[in-house]
Amino acid sequence: MKEIKTKIIERIKSHFQDAVERDYDYNRLDFSVKKETIPSILFYLKDEMNFKHLSHITCVDWLEEKEFEVVFILWSYTDRLQVYVRTRIDRDHPVLDNIDMIWRQANTYERELKEMYGINFTGLEAPEEFLLEDWEGPPPMRRDFDTREYAARTYYTRPGREDAQDVRETIIKRTGEELPDFAKKYKR
Amino acid sequence: MVFNDKNSQKIVDIIENYARKSSLWILAYGTGCGAIELPPTVTSRYDSERLGIHFGATPRQADVLLITGYLTTKTLKRVIRVYEQMQDPKYVIGFGSCTINGGMYWDSYNTINALDRYLPVDVYINGCMPRPEAVLAGFAKLQKLIQAGKADGANKYKENLDWYRTNQKKVIPNWRMPEYNW
Amino acid sequence: MREKATTLYFGPQHPGITGNMMVRLKVEGDTIVKATAEVGYLHRAFEKLMEERNWLQSFTLLCRFCVPEPDPVEESYARAVEMLEGREVPERAKYIRVMVLELARIGAFLFWYGAQASSLGLHTVGQWSIGDRNYVLDLFEALTGARIYHMYIWPGGVRRDFPEGFEEQVIKTMDYLEKRLNDYDDLLFESAIFQKRAKGIGIINKEKAIEWGVVGPPLRGCGIRHDMRIDDPYEVYDKLDFIVPTGENGDIWSRAQVRRQEIRQSIRIVRQVIDKIPKGEYYNKIPNPQKWTLPKGDAYAHTEAARGEVGFFVASDGVSTHPRRAHERGAAYVHAITLLEDLLVGANIADVSEIMFSLGTCPPEVER
Repeated sequence: MKEIKTKIIERIKSHFQDAVERDYDYNRLDFSVKKETIPSILFYLKDEMNFKHLSHITCVDWLEEKEFEVVFILWSYTDRLQVYVRTRIDRDHPVLDNIDMIWRQANTYERELKEMYGINFTGLEAPEEFLLEDWEGPPPMRRDFDTREYAARTYYTRPGREDAQDVRETIIKRTGEELPDFAKKYKR
Repeated sequence: MVFNDKNSQKIVDIIENYARKSSLWILAYGTGCGAIELPPTVTSRYDSERLGIHFGATPRQADVLLITGYLTTKTLKRVIRVYEQMQDPKYVIGFGSCTINGGMYWDSYNTINALDRYLPVDVYINGCMPRPEAVLAGFAKLQKLIQAGKADGANKYKENLDWYRTNQKKVIPNWRMPEYNW
Repeated sequence: MREKATTLYFGPQHPGITGNMMVRLKVEGDTIVKATAEVGYLHRAFEKLMEERNWLQSFTLLCRFCVPEPDPVEESYARAVEMLEGREVPERAKYIRVMVLELARIGAFLFWYGAQASSLGLHTVGQWSIGDRNYVLDLFEALTGARIYHMYIWPGGVRRDFPEGFEEQVIKTMDYLEKRLNDYDDLLFESAIFQKRAKGIGIINKEKAIEWGVVGPPLRGCGIRHDMRIDDPYEVYDKLDFIVPTGENGDIWSRAQVRRQEIRQSIRIVRQVIDKIPKGEYYNKIPNPQKWTLPKGDAYAHTEAARGEVGFFVASDGVSTHPRRAHERGAAYVHAITLLEDLLVGANIADVSEIMFSLGTCPPEVER
C-alpha cells in the first residue's frame, strides 16, 4: 500500500504542480488543487492511474471563510485505494468546470450541487429542476438558509408540537402515581 | 338511492354502508416511506384481503387514498390531483406520525406538517412506522366509521373547498390545476 | 409511415413503479425513443436536517434514507464517524454488524423477489416471499425493537446485545429460508414467463458498466466481480468465507441469477457469524452526545448494500456538535437516473417497470 501511494503522489506531483497531498493511515489519499486543474487531474487519474470509479461528488459550505469546498471521491478497483480530489471555490461566484464527459453519472451529482448550493457547472446540459419544484428561495443547502425559520413561516404547525415538556406531572395528576426520587433530579 | 320515506332510507343506508365498508380498495400510490409496510399487510401473514382491502390501480377505481407518511410539496400537488379524480365514496387515511404533526420532519423546508389542512382525513394511524397490525386497526376504525355513516371527509372537502384551496395554494407556488367540480 | 412520437408519463402514481418517482417516456408505437427520469417527490432535506441535529440524533433520520434496506446507510455513517474520530469498535460488535447487514440483505432480496415477479404479473411469488420476509423482520424486532427502522448500528458498536435465545431463532429462520429458496426457484426461475421476459432484455454494456459507475448486482450481472465486501473489506468480512456470484450477459436474467445466488451466500455468512461470534463488549461508549465534538476533517465510508455501493460523507468543523456536512452516496443515484434513462431507450412500455425493479432503484435514496 505504501509503495502504491508514494508512486501515485510522485506521478501526480510531477504532472500537477499545484497539487498538495495528504496521506492517511488507511487506504486513502487527498489532493488539494486549484479549481482550473480539476478536469485535467480527474482525467489523468481515470485514464492513467486506473481510478475508474467515481464514488461521490460533494460540497462543503465553509460560510465563515466565504468558500465552497468541492470534493471528488474516486475509487480504484485495482489498487483498492480512495482518492479525494478537493478544491475551494468562491462562495459568491461559484463556478466549476463540468466533468460529465469523464463520468456520465457526474451529471446527476452536478445537477444536485447546482440546485442545492447554486454552483454553476459550465457546459452542464440538464433540465433546470432536479429535486425541488418551483423553488423561489435561495439554494437550500447553503448554511445561511434557515430551514426552521422557513418551515415555521410556510407550513402550519399543530399546537402541541413546541411543548416538548415534562408530561410526567400530567400523568401523575391523572393517575395519582408517585414520582420516584431519582426521576425528580432529571426534571426539565 | 333516495327515498322519501325516512325508515326505508335508513335501511338503504345500512345496506349501502355495509357494501362500502366490505370492499375498500387502496389506491396504489406509495407517497412516502410508509408504502413499505403495505405489501406485508396485503400478503400472506396479515392478509388484509380477507377484510376486502387490497390495491386498486387507478384513482377512479380506488376508495381509499393512503397518505403513507410525509408529503413534500411536489407530491402534495399530485396527491390533490389524484384525490380530486377519485370518485365518491372516497376516504383518506393519514398513515404515520409525519402526517399528523410533521413527525421528525417538522423543520424540513420541503414537507408539510399537518395533512388535514390540505386534505380531509378520516382516520389517522400513528407510529413511525406503523406496524401492519396498526394498519389493520386503522382500517377497522374506518370501517366502523363508514358503517355509522360518519366517514364524510369527501363532503367536508366539497363544502369547505375554499378553505382547503387557500391552504393548498399557500404551499404550492405554481398552481396550474383543473377545477374541482364534481 | 413513421409513427408520431407521443409523450407518456409513467408515474408517480403507477402500480408498476418503485416507490414515488416518474419517468417521462417518448414513445413511437410501443417502443420508447427517449426517457427522462424525474425525481424529487420524496425530497425531505435529510442532509439539511442533519446539520441541525447532533451527531447521534441524526440516527433517527439515517435509517429512513432507503426504506427496504436501512442498515447499510447506518453502517456507512457510523463507520465514517469512527474514521473521523479514530474510535475503535469491539470485535463482538463487528460480528453483530455483519450479521445485521446480511439479514438486511436477505430481507431486501426477498422483497425484490416479490417486486420483480409482480412487475410481470406473477403475484404468487410476492405473496410467498414478502410473507417470508416477515420472519427476517421478526429477527430484527427481537434484536432492535423495530421491524423497519432499526437505528441499531451506532458509532462505537451497536445499540443492544443479542437477546436471550436469539442465536437459535436465527438458525431456525435460516434453516427455514434455505428450504424455501428452492420453492422460489421452482416458482420464479422455472417460470416460462419470467425466462422469456427476462432473457435479453435491459442489457447493460460491459464496457459501459464501469464507465458509468454501475455497482451492485447490475455490475456483477455483466460478469465483473466487484463487491466492496471483498474489494475493501470492512468489519470482519475478510475473516468470513463466501463467494461473490457473477452473471454473464448483463440482462435482467443475469441480475436475477446474481441475486438468487447471493441470498444463499448471505445465509452462509449469517451462519458463520453465529458460529464465530466472540464474547465481550458490544459497545464502545461515546461521550455525552450533547457535547460530543469530532476533530476537524472529513471521511467517506462505503458499504455494499443489496443494491450496490452505499457511501456516506461526513465533514466536521471541529468545534460544533453538529455535522458541517453529511452527504449520502446512493447506489440508486446512478441506477435510477442516468442508467435507467439509457436502458429504457429501445425497450417496450411493458418492460419499463421490469427494468426498474431489476436495477434495484430506490427513489427515497435518490431524493433524500
